[in-house]
Amino acid sequence: MKIIGFYKLLIIGLLCLPGLKSSGQQQDMAFIEGGTYKPFVKGDKEEVPVNAFWMDKKAVTNTDYQRFVEANPQWSKENAKRIFADSNYLYHWPDSGLSQHSGPPDGAPVVNVSWFAAKAYCEWQNKRLPKLHEWEFVARAFPKNDVSADSLQRIISDWYSNRLKHDFLVGSVYQNTYGVWDMHGLVWEWVYDFNSIVMNNDGRNQEEMPEGLFCGSASLNANDATDYAAFVRFAFRTSLKGNYNLRKLGFRCAK
Amino acid sequence: MNSIHNFPKLLLPLLAAVILLLAPACQRDKQKFNTDNLPPIKGEVMAKLTVAPEVPPRIQAKTNTKVIVHLEIVEQVMRLADGVEYNFWTFGGVVPGKFIRVRQGDLVEFHLHNHPDNMFPHNIDLHAVTGPGGGAEATLIAPGKSAQFSFRALNEGLYVYHCATAPVGMHIANGMYGLILVEPLAGMSPVDHEFYVMQSEFYTSGRFGERGLQEFDMQKALDENPDYVVMNGAVGASAGENAMQVKVGETVRLFLGNGGPNLVSSFHAIGEIFDKVYIEGGSMYTENVQTTLIPAGGSAIVEFKCEVPGTLHLVDHSIFRAFNKGAIAQIKVIGEENHDVFSGKEKETVYLPEGSAIQKVGERKDASEEVVSERTLEERLEKGESLYKQNCLACHMDQGKGVIGVFPPLNNSDFLQARDDKGFGIIVNGLQGEIVVNGTSYNNIMPAMHMSDDNIASVMTYIFTELNNGGGLINAADVRQWREKNK
Repeated sequence: MKIIGFYKLLIIGLLCLPGLKSSGQQQDMAFIEGGTYKPFVKGDKEEVPVNAFWMDKKAVTNTDYQRFVEANPQWSKENAKRIFADSNYLYHWPDSGLSQHSGPPDGAPVVNVSWFAAKAYCEWQNKRLPKLHEWEFVARAFPKNDVSADSLQRIISDWYSNRLKHDFLVGSVYQNTYGVWDMHGLVWEWVYDFNSIVMNNDGRNQEEMPEGLFCGSASLNANDATDYAAFVRFAFRTSLKGNYNLRKLGFRCAK
Repeated sequence: MNSIHNFPKLLLPLLAAVILLLAPACQRDKQKFNTDNLPPIKGEVMAKLTVAPEVPPRIQAKTNTKVIVHLEIVEQVMRLADGVEYNFWTFGGVVPGKFIRVRQGDLVEFHLHNHPDNMFPHNIDLHAVTGPGGGAEATLIAPGKSAQFSFRALNEGLYVYHCATAPVGMHIANGMYGLILVEPLAGMSPVDHEFYVMQSEFYTSGRFGERGLQEFDMQKALDENPDYVVMNGAVGASAGENAMQVKVGETVRLFLGNGGPNLVSSFHAIGEIFDKVYIEGGSMYTENVQTTLIPAGGSAIVEFKCEVPGTLHLVDHSIFRAFNKGAIAQIKVIGEENHDVFSGKEKETVYLPEGSAIQKVGERKDASEEVVSERTLEERLEKGESLYKQNCLACHMDQGKGVIGVFPPLNNSDFLQARDDKGFGIIVNGLQGEIVVNGTSYNNIMPAMHMSDDNIASVMTYIFTELNNGGGLINAADVRQWREKNK
């Protein structure tokens, strides 16, 4: 018992260490130690380095976003410029703005926000949007309560098949081994460089694709052609433009 | 030298003339388009799209026109089989996608809409399009977006369309395919009925018939090992109560497609011969065909006249797909019998080959006269299960589930339970004609099964006990008594 208690303390201490390095707000963020990973789309190198960074544990909620809009009226539903956010911007909010008695639940992830809006939100928080490699690096982590590739795959395929039952609130699907919630199963998420890899439809035009990182010619350039969930994410990002606002697309910030 | 050299020269024009004379017999008059001088477009029409098995009426305008097509992509949970649901990705809210009909030379203005509540990006590749990706590159759209592009329908034929967004196989496996017909400007020859039937397969986490909302299984798709092979998007979608209906003497044209994603279809109509098959949906036809091959991502047009009443079963003659995975559609032909064409069963007699060591006349015991000692419930169940697999499973399916509208279920069957003879009469005499089982009507033929009393007792014990019909041990003596009474 004593030994177990000691180790528990040690682990908690180690987990707290990174927190001590920065300011108090980091309790909402997880420290990602970084490393290298094999990206889905082959670049010049097999392995891509990912430097240490902080990632929001949960996606940004409607309540979070309302505070941002109040502080930044240029991003209100009626003021936002169409070139930065098309006419679906905050589609699910009442025109008067989010109030306590109408609209989506406070703890639900904010959706119908454009890349420009998400970027502005993160900057307002002194953060930034995660980079694609950072996001994918964290998204590979297995669920904390069942550390296996199978359990991660199950969450993804249940999500895609509309079998996932949860109450559509942040922190309701699963927490991964970094302590980060809902990387799959809740909403798609913006990344800073979402359009750096172009999945040209089905990627049949390999010879026409530019080289290197920009070469996303689906099956020919994929590291694992059976990883259909990754195909889906990259195809999804390819279909986006910076001013798009989608009902199933939200975001979280990094630092 | 000279004469030999000249001979082929003389022969060539002759050969060409013969070919030209023969060609119209097996090929539709085909207009060749000069793309520098395309026919003028006059006016515009909104395309009427239909849900399988319906086919839209042909566009009546005398000259080529602009045809405006609106197709909406919807992701939604729908029925795959009884008690089985699947999150389908659809063109128009249905699988297969809605049927599009235009004429050669028409200008098609295509609008693709990705419903805002969808989760995935999509696009469309129409095989009828001459141009990059068949429109795929012009139409990749996120949920909540629409894309528009236009194309000239240069080649006539029946073409598949499908989603071509990565991962392509998954989009097709989830239901994203349909047919577009490019017919000659003057139309095809008139027939009484036109129908739309498209085969495809589904790869589910659960095995065939496993209840609940099923998810897509990538490994089974890679292995090309589907649990469901279906006509028109679901088991029984165009069978039983949903069967296509025609009258005796009417002509039928089927627009057939195969969405795949993997399997090639050996398309066959049980009880009919195709008078004409437009091979692979193109311009050339062949005649008097029993089974025609439809490639994945390909099509065929078949025509036939229904001469006698009955039910035609449209199947993939890779036959386990039909009877065990769902690949059956039906056409009910209603009308008067024509015994000059088909007599029905005229008589059935015992066949006793001569010179057989086993079955010499006089030695062969009547099945009913065997004397056997009775068996225990356990013995009957064990024997009954194996007899069920040998004799019943192919039609009545695993666990007696049946095929809705085609083969009646034996599992918890109100029809069986209501019979006084415990079903003995069906096994001994066979059964044909319309019956209603658990609320669904069936009109099919079960042949008489030549089984001993002992075997009938075992298989019926199995069916009553294991297939939820109230249970109970049935003895060979029960069967014998029934035979005595019904001699």
